Amino acid sequence: MQIVKENPNVIKLAVEVLKHGGLVVFPTETTYGIAADATNHKAIGKLNSYKKRPAGKPYSVAVTDENMATKYVNLNNTARNIYQEFLPGPVTIISKGKNKLAKGVESETGTLGIRISSYPLVSQIVKKLGVPVTATSANASYMKRPYKIGDILDNISVKQKSLINLIIDAGELPHNEPSTVIDTTIDDPVILRQGGIKFKDKNGILSRSGENTENLAKELFQKYEGYLGKRPIIFALTGEMGTGKTRFTKGLGKVLSIKDEIVSPTFNLVLEYGKLTHIDTWRLQNTEKLNTLGFLKMIEDKNIVIAIEWADRFIKEIKDQREHALIVWVKIKYGKGVNERLISWEVI
Amino acid sequence: MKILSIDTSCDETSAAVTENTKVISNIIWSQASQHANFGGVMPSLAQRLHKERIDWVINKALGRKYKYLKNIDAIAVTQGPGLAIALEVGISKAKELAIKYNKPLIPVNHIEGHLLSALANNKTLINFPALGLVVSGGNTQLIYIEELGKYKILAETVDDALGEALDKGARLLGLGYPGGSILEKFARLGNPKKYILPTPLVDDKIKNRFSYSGLKTAMFRLIEKEKPLTKEKICNLAASYQEVAFKHVENVLLYQINQSSNQPINCLLLGGGVANNNLLRSKLRKHLASYKIALLIPYTKKLCGDNAAMVGVTAYLKTKNGELKTIINIRDLDRKPNLKI
Repeated sequence: MQIVKENPNVIKLAVEVLKHGGLVVFPTETTYGIAADATNHKAIGKLNSYKKRPAGKPYSVAVTDENMATKYVNLNNTARNIYQEFLPGPVTIISKGKNKLAKGVESETGTLGIRISSYPLVSQIVKKLGVPVTATSANASYMKRPYKIGDILDNISVKQKSLINLIIDAGELPHNEPSTVIDTTIDDPVILRQGGIKFKDKNGILSRSGENTENLAKELFQKYEGYLGKRPIIFALTGEMGTGKTRFTKGLGKVLSIKDEIVSPTFNLVLEYGKLTHIDTWRLQNTEKLNTLGFLKMIEDKNIVIAIEWADRFIKEIKDQREHALIVWVKIKYGKGVNERLISWEVI
Repeated sequence: MKILSIDTSCDETSAAVTENTKVISNIIWSQASQHANFGGVMPSLAQRLHKERIDWVINKALGRKYKYLKNIDAIAVTQGPGLAIALEVGISKAKELAIKYNKPLIPVNHIEGHLLSALANNKTLINFPALGLVVSGGNTQLIYIEELGKYKILAETVDDALGEALDKGARLLGLGYPGGSILEKFARLGNPKKYILPTPLVDDKIKNRFSYSGLKTAMFRLIEKEKPLTKEKICNLAASYQEVAFKHVENVLLYQINQSSNQPINCLLLGGGVANNNLLRSKLRKHLASYKIALLIPYTKKLCGDNAAMVGVTAYLKTKNGELKTIINIRDLDRKPNLKI
């Protein structure tokens, strides 16, 4: 591992390292990021080991401009408008990918997050390399946001250190929020992570298919998964019969790499799939307590993800656990079109 | 071989005595009426009721003749799948008796129990391969039976079980819950062609799954449109819904029968609560007749819903060749709420 102070010659060095499948820690306008050649399978494998990422979590990539982006993603009008208004800058824009990058960069559903950094060094490296690099933050998953090199090195193992080939040190960066993440693949663009750039605060989308609903579940999970390990995550699902509460949970199953088919737990009340527990309170009598299903015991596990269908039947019992669990309240309503659903959410 | 069997997988507390495949007693104490009073299931109540009733049910099943279990060769118990806290009651009781009376304990998969329930009291010899169709509130599985104990799932549900879909349809129509059997009664008075509902997964080229979530949604929308509901409308809606729900089963079944044409299927074993539905029975019988496949259904309706006799029969069939290899260390036996076949 080589640590170099930021200087004009470092670009050439970084490009050499990246070309050989190496990992480079670099400064951006948000935090320190870690770059791998996004077209190189081995480099992405190495990055996965470094980040200790759960399978199924994609990486966003840095490109130089909108033109370069169109080689890797299909931009719709919504995306183009946001590009023009906010890029370069601390915004990650998710579009439908063209499957031209190494496996694991795009999401399992084929979407890809694009960044165009306003930090000149990043674009210079990408321009010289000619292909996108990953633009994920340089911390291992769930660790402290890295604003200085010490933040990274103090929190990783010897093995992880050995995976980094080059660190470009620009001193301590201003403590900016991470990038704002916007998904433009769903008709109403949806903000998946609120960073420094504020959009109109709107946490609802129109889902046009069961697949859309599954994707939203995956993205919501990824938005909050940083809490896992510290607190369990509860997705409290409400909505009429047939709106897609089980479908939403299927999305959670996918992002958690659960191989079993996620089916309706109406009959059994509780179905367990490793890290994911799926509860259906529909058959449960109102005067009954959710805890008769072992709810409190379940949330002692800080790594558990729980989806509760018909959560509105036990609002108080769930809300009472706010201090012990991250609770995402998800409301699904029938839309006008046959397959349309209005889905909104809030952390309570 | 005489077996005392116990099943407490969900809302029913049941114990039975079977001798080989013959059912000597099959006592079922249903909590459904208790739960219906509250408009839903209460797991804590279920557990309490199981605990309260289990000794009574077992004594009743044993009768005077088998008192103190002297004449019983083995004890069988449902290990899963089911409601965890309910399963626990049956399992701990079975363990207690097995240890106390020094009897072998045979854990049984509840779905396998449903699958083989048609073999209870069955005197004709069954030839394999066969098919099994388990349709209940918690399961919808089409199973290829190469021989006893050798199963392959040909199709299963990706969301709701058939029984659950029927129960929910009944609920949407305001017929209460669980209302699958009430739905059947209303459907008998209605016209199944009155409303067009989408048959699930007709576009699947390979038909290896069931799905009822889309039908449920379509039914919800249709009912919203038809409101206010009259009795006539309810009957027609019930008939149309049930028709399509079964059409889906028929489509998958026929596809799978045609797929296995190089290895002729001898019979189809029907099990699970929905096996009680007469329309489903007659539809299956008609289709199977054209393939010269016999339809075997449980000899009494009692064997369709959750019951212990099917557990005893299954325990016998699986261990009759002398290899009691399913018998494990009694103390290690634990519930398996998510057990698969």
